[in-house]
Amino acid sequence: MKKMLYEQLVAYILDHQDRFYRLAYSYTKNQEDALDAVQNAVCKALEAYENIRNADAIKTWFYRILINECLRVIKRRKQDAVSADMDAEDAVYYEKAYDQENVDDELEKLEPDVQEIIKLRFFEEMSLKEIAAITGYNLNTVKTKLYRGLKLLKENMEEAALWVV
Amino acid sequence: MGSLKEMKEQYENIVIPEELAVRVQQEITKSRNKQVEKESHRYWFSKAVRSLGTAAAAVGIVFTLALNTMPAFAMEAAQLPVIGGLARVLTFRSYETEKDDIAVSVEIPSIEMIENDTGMQVDAINQEILDRCNQYAEEAIAWAEDYRTAFLETGGTLEEWAAHNIKIKVDYEIKQQDDAYLSFVVRGYENWSNANNESRYYNLDLHTGKEVTLKDLLGDDYEALANESIRQQIAEREQAGETFFAEAAGGFKGISDNTKFYINSNHNPVIVFDKYEIANGAAGEIEFEIGG
Repeated sequence: MKKMLYEQLVAYILDHQDRFYRLAYSYTKNQEDALDAVQNAVCKALEAYENIRNADAIKTWFYRILINECLRVIKRRKQDAVSADMDAEDAVYYEKAYDQENVDDELEKLEPDVQEIIKLRFFEEMSLKEIAAITGYNLNTVKTKLYRGLKLLKENMEEAALWVV
Repeated sequence: MGSLKEMKEQYENIVIPEELAVRVQQEITKSRNKQVEKESHRYWFSKAVRSLGTAAAAVGIVFTLALNTMPAFAMEAAQLPVIGGLARVLTFRSYETEKDDIAVSVEIPSIEMIENDTGMQVDAINQEILDRCNQYAEEAIAWAEDYRTAFLETGGTLEEWAAHNIKIKVDYEIKQQDDAYLSFVVRGYENWSNANNESRYYNLDLHTGKEVTLKDLLGDDYEALANESIRQQIAEREQAGETFFAEAAGGFKGISDNTKFYINSNHNPVIVFDKYEIANGAAGEIEFEIGG
């Protein structure tokens, strides 16, 4: 039975790796870090597969690992940047990456957990229940944060539009 | 307003690098190899370690601060042939904690100068070791806690969690300690996942006070020399029945600046590959002495 769960997990990973990468990229903003995050998540998931309660939980369980890995990669990079005193060239590079698109920017302005909920809801098209399972918030909190986030996003975008005109 | 749609389009347009599939496949292959191996022998930490009872909420902290003067250390040091040595490695601090059935044991080494007038500066390196060990332990604990939360929220019970017997360990091993070199490795591991195992080798030349490189030991041709020697040794060991990954399947491709090594009693470099790096996990860490 465990064996079957393992095979289901492998199949799930193979089928959805592109989605994992996109989500990772939306956190890390660069290819190498996104690849690292996905790879680590896959490694950890395969190591710990025995802890999935049942096949239905694979998706939320895996996303949770993936998001944790993304956050770790970002944190580590920040630490590296601080300890290496971040030479000028790198600084320019990262700022550019953040600058690239306005909508993305608007999303970046929101609280990290709100960003996460919006991405999962609209980009990954997950149900609120799934999001609750991944983030660990209860359903009502997810709803509140999502609607608040959308409201802020709308306001910010309108404000940004004013500035452009 | 359509901008969420725009954002989504942008998101969907993130280019998937070809390397993704390769790296995902790599992990799956690694994991499959390990599955096979796991069926033949269980993990190194047996149930014997689980001693502190089952009370899930119990928080036991044993904290021992072992400084240079500790008797246990004195005994240990006495056994080492350091007479006339300039420096040695000893336990600077060790502690054990257990919380939420996650057992942590940390032993942090530091370098002590026996003769102070050598001009060798070890403070920076000691600080680095300390930071590295603390960071590893912190991250490993945070990750195990995440795992616990996820486990419990997906219907696992506290008893089942306790049975996982999670152990996190940081320790060190002295490879060589004499008049010329100090060579040791600091390791961090978790018994439930290989993803985060880390090792860092320190090789110090006691006369210059600097970290030794392969170039220092083998000369300018060190890379070609080491690669040739390793390939030859792999061929010999394959003859003798060991298996290594083929080069195309992630096997040995040549050394790099990040290649790990220590110095042995012949003062030769011994190159070390992590478990799974160039062969099946069953082979563990693989070492090649170069020269001699």
